Amino acid sequence: MLALSALRPAHALDNPLAAYPKRGWEKLYRDVYAHDDDYVFMCTPNCTHNCYLKAYVKNGVVTRCGPTQKYHQATDVYGTKASQRWDPRHCNKGLAIVRRFNGDRRVKTPMVRRGFKLWADKGFPRDKDGLPPAEYMRRGEDSYERVGWDEAHALAAKTMEHLARYYSGDDGARLLEKQTYHPKMIDRVQGAGTRTLKFRGGMPVLGSIKLFGQYRQANSMALLDKFVRNVDEKDAKGGVGLDNYTWHTDLPPGHPMVTGQQTVDFDLCDVEYSKMAICWGMNWVSTKMPDAHWLAEARIKGTKVVTITTEYNSTCSKSDEYVVIRPGTDPAFALGVAREIIANKLYDEDFVKGWTDLPLLVRMDTKELLRAKDCIKGHKTAKLKRTKVVPDGQGVKPWDVEQGMPVVEASRREDWGDFVMWNSAKSAPVAVSRDDIGEFFAKKKIDPALEGTYTVTLLDGTKVEVRPNFDLVKQHLWDTWTLENTQKVTWAPPEAVKSLARGIAERPEGVLFVVGMGPNQMFNADQKDRAIFLVAALTRNVGFAGGNVGSYAGNYRAAYFNGMPMYISEDPFDPELDPDTLPRISKKFAMQSAHFYSHGDMPLEVHGTVYNGETHMPFPTKLMWFSGSNSILGNAKGHYDVVMNLLRHPEFRSPQVKSKRLIEAVFVSEWWWTGSCEYADIVFAIDSWGEYNVHDLTESCTNPFMQVMPLGGIQRIHNTRSDTEVYAGVAAKLAEITGDNRFNDYWKFIDDGKAVPYIQRILDHCNISKGYQWDDLHELAKQGIPAMMMGRTYPKWIGYDQSVESKPWYNRTGRLEFLRDEPEFKMHGEMLPLHREPIDATFHTPNVIVAKPHPLIDPKTPTDLGFPEDDLMGETRQVRNVVLTPDELLETDHPLMKDGFSHQWITPKYRHSVHTIVADIDILSVWWGPYGDIYRHDKRMPWVGEGYVDINPEDAKELGIDDGDYVWIDADPHDRPFHGWQDRPEEAKVARAMMRCRHYPGTPKGIARSYFHFSGASFGSVRGHETRKDGLAKSPETGYQSMYRYGSHQSGTRSWLRPTLLTDSLTRKNLMGQQIGQGFVPDVHCANGAPRESFVKFTRSEPGGMDGGIWEPARLGIRPMSEDERMERYLAGEFVTVEGE
Amino acid sequence: MPKVKNWQLGREMDYPFEEVKPKRQMAMVFDTNKCIACQTCSMACKMTWTSGRGQEYMFWNNVETKPYGGYPTRWDLAVLEKIGGGTWKDGVYDGKTVFEEAGNEPEGIAGVLPSDMDWAHPNIGEDQCAGGSMPQGFHENSMPHKHWFFYVPRICNHCSYPACLAACPRGAIYKREEDGIVLIDQSRCRGYRRCVKACPYGKPMFRANHETSEKCVGCYPKVEQGIQTQCVEQCIGKIRGQGWIDMSKEPDPSNPIDYLVRVKKMALPLYPQFGTEPNVYYIPPIHVPPSYLQQMFGPGVEHAIEQYKTGPTDERLAGLLVLFGSSPQIMTKFDVADGIAKGWNDKGELVAEVPLVEPISIRSHHDKKLKVHRMDVT
Repeated sequence: MLALSALRPAHALDNPLAAYPKRGWEKLYRDVYAHDDDYVFMCTPNCTHNCYLKAYVKNGVVTRCGPTQKYHQATDVYGTKASQRWDPRHCNKGLAIVRRFNGDRRVKTPMVRRGFKLWADKGFPRDKDGLPPAEYMRRGEDSYERVGWDEAHALAAKTMEHLARYYSGDDGARLLEKQTYHPKMIDRVQGAGTRTLKFRGGMPVLGSIKLFGQYRQANSMALLDKFVRNVDEKDAKGGVGLDNYTWHTDLPPGHPMVTGQQTVDFDLCDVEYSKMAICWGMNWVSTKMPDAHWLAEARIKGTKVVTITTEYNSTCSKSDEYVVIRPGTDPAFALGVAREIIANKLYDEDFVKGWTDLPLLVRMDTKELLRAKDCIKGHKTAKLKRTKVVPDGQGVKPWDVEQGMPVVEASRREDWGDFVMWNSAKSAPVAVSRDDIGEFFAKKKIDPALEGTYTVTLLDGTKVEVRPNFDLVKQHLWDTWTLENTQKVTWAPPEAVKSLARGIAERPEGVLFVVGMGPNQMFNADQKDRAIFLVAALTRNVGFAGGNVGSYAGNYRAAYFNGMPMYISEDPFDPELDPDTLPRISKKFAMQSAHFYSHGDMPLEVHGTVYNGETHMPFPTKLMWFSGSNSILGNAKGHYDVVMNLLRHPEFRSPQVKSKRLIEAVFVSEWWWTGSCEYADIVFAIDSWGEYNVHDLTESCTNPFMQVMPLGGIQRIHNTRSDTEVYAGVAAKLAEITGDNRFNDYWKFIDDGKAVPYIQRILDHCNISKGYQWDDLHELAKQGIPAMMMGRTYPKWIGYDQSVESKPWYNRTGRLEFLRDEPEFKMHGEMLPLHREPIDATFHTPNVIVAKPHPLIDPKTPTDLGFPEDDLMGETRQVRNVVLTPDELLETDHPLMKDGFSHQWITPKYRHSVHTIVADIDILSVWWGPYGDIYRHDKRMPWVGEGYVDINPEDAKELGIDDGDYVWIDADPHDRPFHGWQDRPEEAKVARAMMRCRHYPGTPKGIARSYFHFSGASFGSVRGHETRKDGLAKSPETGYQSMYRYGSHQSGTRSWLRPTLLTDSLTRKNLMGQQIGQGFVPDVHCANGAPRESFVKFTRSEPGGMDGGIWEPARLGIRPMSEDERMERYLAGEFVTVEGE
Repeated sequence: MPKVKNWQLGREMDYPFEEVKPKRQMAMVFDTNKCIACQTCSMACKMTWTSGRGQEYMFWNNVETKPYGGYPTRWDLAVLEKIGGGTWKDGVYDGKTVFEEAGNEPEGIAGVLPSDMDWAHPNIGEDQCAGGSMPQGFHENSMPHKHWFFYVPRICNHCSYPACLAACPRGAIYKREEDGIVLIDQSRCRGYRRCVKACPYGKPMFRANHETSEKCVGCYPKVEQGIQTQCVEQCIGKIRGQGWIDMSKEPDPSNPIDYLVRVKKMALPLYPQFGTEPNVYYIPPIHVPPSYLQQMFGPGVEHAIEQYKTGPTDERLAGLLVLFGSSPQIMTKFDVADGIAKGWNDKGELVAEVPLVEPISIRSHHDKKLKVHRMDVT
């Protein structure tokens, strides 16, 4: 009876389609939806978008957020307008960030590692090598102590003073030598211990005050140096800043080789103007989400979407045409396309002759560009109208916004000289200057030869053979990159090459090459750029709204804020305390690539020869302090080698590892306990993005908006501070130690003005922002309305000045350059765009140049360089120059093939996270592929979602690996997961990668893929996984949550240094401003790494099922390439038949 | 059992209640070609409605990859198996709906109750393609793709003939007369999970700690204000349009929903053969084999794809598709002329005005007044 009554409707209802009584309960959801208050904040992971979000507050807590819907109100001082097509802007990550504000892994108060604190409390005792005793440097296994802010600041200041003093002078140098630092690195210190203190704010434009603030802090170290060494202010040296864009392997390193400046790119909405968008190794759909609609809408309106990829990915599913190639063979593929364009005479002669160096003559004797002064009688170096020549030593300041053109010092300009073409009409050489570009070149009415060999008589009477660069490029393409050879090397079907060549050539000013990190994170990335630019230049697709090359990665373009020296390089000895008076600028800090740090803190030395230029030479690292930057440690390529062999005391390293290099202090400023925090000595607890207490500003390289940050609309949730308040707090302690109050003055406007005076100084000195006033921007920001960046165009793209207005690029010739005739390029055989095999991720001999014999491809071989040809060790490989033809290449095997290594393992980015930010937030973690499970039915799961590797199902079956099984992944045992792992079993357990294997038909055989975002295993997470009842890979000590049981996607990566990115000779613009110089520039011409390079072996570890059988869903007959009969019917659509119309 | 008219089936069908239509029916169009599976909709929904205890596994809105994805796991395959197949003849479906293939089911509806594990993996199948193993080297330059997957964003369909409503033994599920939103009365529901089993789309979900079932509420607190639902308003792929549909009236070509569903006939119901007359309409993906799509969206698939491909020459169509997502307000009227698409709300207020091509503006190289050069390489 009871059961029956329970089943009866509780109230009389005739028809619930028609009416329902008592709807008062509906108030329930209205109450859920209601909020008390709202405010605007900015979400700034390094996705490049930077979205204002509206936070909805209930009872003082942010419960959810959403878009501001006001991007369309953006404007500039000229009244330019954006449309409503820009709204809404945000994404899944931004919406989930609320759970990070309030999450359990917030850094809630400053934390200090106990061993470190003990070491400091005891007065920094040291053993005979001058190293801290081992017991204080057992990073990873140590515990943490909560400390107050005053104590944290004091401890940091005390450590900085100690290290600066300890490593100063001759004594410091001797200690560094004992600790096995390279002599050239020790030389760079020049006796100033402050040069061993390193600072980094991660992708600093993401919050220019807080993150560039690290470089300001580095500058202020000159005050400390003066105190420690008692030197003159002018001789005092600041700390060292670490690079960003290049550390992330985000720089397309060939762009400066072709254009002399950092990167060519365009706002993603420019796809509106293209007829074809080629997503080249760039998963736009998954990684540029708020701008994905532009691609879809352009396609609706007729833009052809093409993807060049290594697997069937989400962007392929939105493409009209796609090509699957072998990872890392992008240069070869582009060269194959270029050959097809030339072979069918599809190139744009006008653009080739007017805008590229292809018509310039190359001397076959010196293999360098022919100069007019050497062969044209009476030639005087041209007086330039579109490049400003200044006396030596009188270069222009980066923030000089009245400079409207490239600037070069007189001697450099003279050294470049003018160049020579072969004038077909007159059968004679003719001089061209860097002014003679585009329309100005056309006015000279020269018809230069592109092909042929000519003889030129030099002024001294010598006759030399010369050839147009076009002819030399063509010879290489012709001989090497036939359709057949292109297919052999890249796997690309010949039809694909033909179709692309035709499709691109048919659309001058209409093809956007949207290049991503797929090909960029290979060792040959610069060659990929040079080859893609070649295709684009041949077809008039550089520098136009709808035809351009772009490279898409992090939010890199610090140069848009070229007024930044007003902030970071303010003279620390004379800080300006009047907000309305301009500061004096004195740059005291130095810069270096962080890739040397992950290279064991060593330069590129192979068999006793150093191959990196002097301008790139790193400094020894004794202290690292970084803000908002898990990539520098927690998710660093070669992470486990950094941890085991640079952060843990030499006593805990394998005897094979001779290095005694040790970073003695690691400070991390973070608001979430990341993998970096697991190894930090001090973790400064920082305000979340929802709790800004100091204003800030940012811009974007992929959209036209410049934005400032309002202050947070809620009370601080924990005992946190803003990044800059921490710098100021430590500076105050340094002021106490040194008695120098300028440490305090240097950060005056953080407390007093919330950074606004600093921001206005920057705004007034950037080309894109001069004319904006803080108050106006701030008022708009509070409503979620951005301002526009004021470059030449809205939307913006690089190259308008050069391609549309015929102004010179920032290199020697002013043209798009395809020849590199500097000594380093000659030495390594890379004078022309060509293909090198990946340095590890290949089935063949790594890093060989693939070419038929060619006069300009004549590198120094191993024999020339004095090491055995068969030395294929990772370190040697970096400078190993061996040329093989395509057929010869195919006959070779990767040296590890014989040991069962079988797969190229790539680690691209994906949709559920930005780097490691928010990947581990529960409601996002569960979306990672098939293994997410919010209730963790399988207690082996490290978290509610976990990392995995995609393997082609046929490969997996051959390896005996079922869908969902756990597998071990091993890369080259010589150096990964870290040097000497064989002797350190406990550390090896932490570092060796183990993850689930997903049967994934979209990757070809031989290719494996893991996503890049998951937080890796630490000592603590492994301990948690093995000892906690719930099995979570969560540190019992710190709460750190790993998304792997063991190791990570970084277990297979290492540092790779490429000598042609480390030259002293490449001509390029400085990072900021108009001045052109030579050699190292951080983020422009700088080590770039190669984190997608691993060649691995898979070993089945555990069955996927909870009961020891196959992973449960794989038993259902619904998984790819394991379908049962009913699933086959379903895939074929056999549950319905359609007849008739 | 009463007979009701189901226009999506082209025929009458059995349904436990007499046909009554709400005063107006909320409807949506999702363009699967624009959907990027970013799950922003899922997060917008989750953070608004299901972030509480007992709701951990719930995604009232989810996006799944077809053909290998499904939340709950293999929900559609299970229902298709249960009701068997059928044939579309000249737009009329001759197979059986969930109401007609009930067999001995106590609810009178052919349903499948997902197991706990079926709810466990919301993104199973993500980005996994059909078509077998990708070869080493491949070139695709035609439609449909040999290898393919696509994304299907899913919410409660606020059906005209809801199976959940029909199955509820407590009479706790009803359709709001003012907007057609289907709600589970949280004060009456006793958590029998009959709706969970009956809904062929797997959208009602059981909340153990409340002992009730819950589902998408159509964001009625927003709709009551004329604002789009969270999943529509916050969709960054701008794939979604929200409005009203009334099959008793002639199609109004200025109504975005009517235009796409009834005039162009390019937005199609999801599994119309289930018989519930769902009110979310999908523009099918242009790169997927039609046989699979017809199973999912009915016989109009090829026509819909042809229509979609007219975008480059059909300004009105392209205009409407770029107008999607350009205003938080429910747009009930639109027009496209001279390269501008406009949308109006119920009150006749212009709420969106967008160019088909975002205009380029060029700034002077030298601003003499402000003493600055405007440059991109700085």
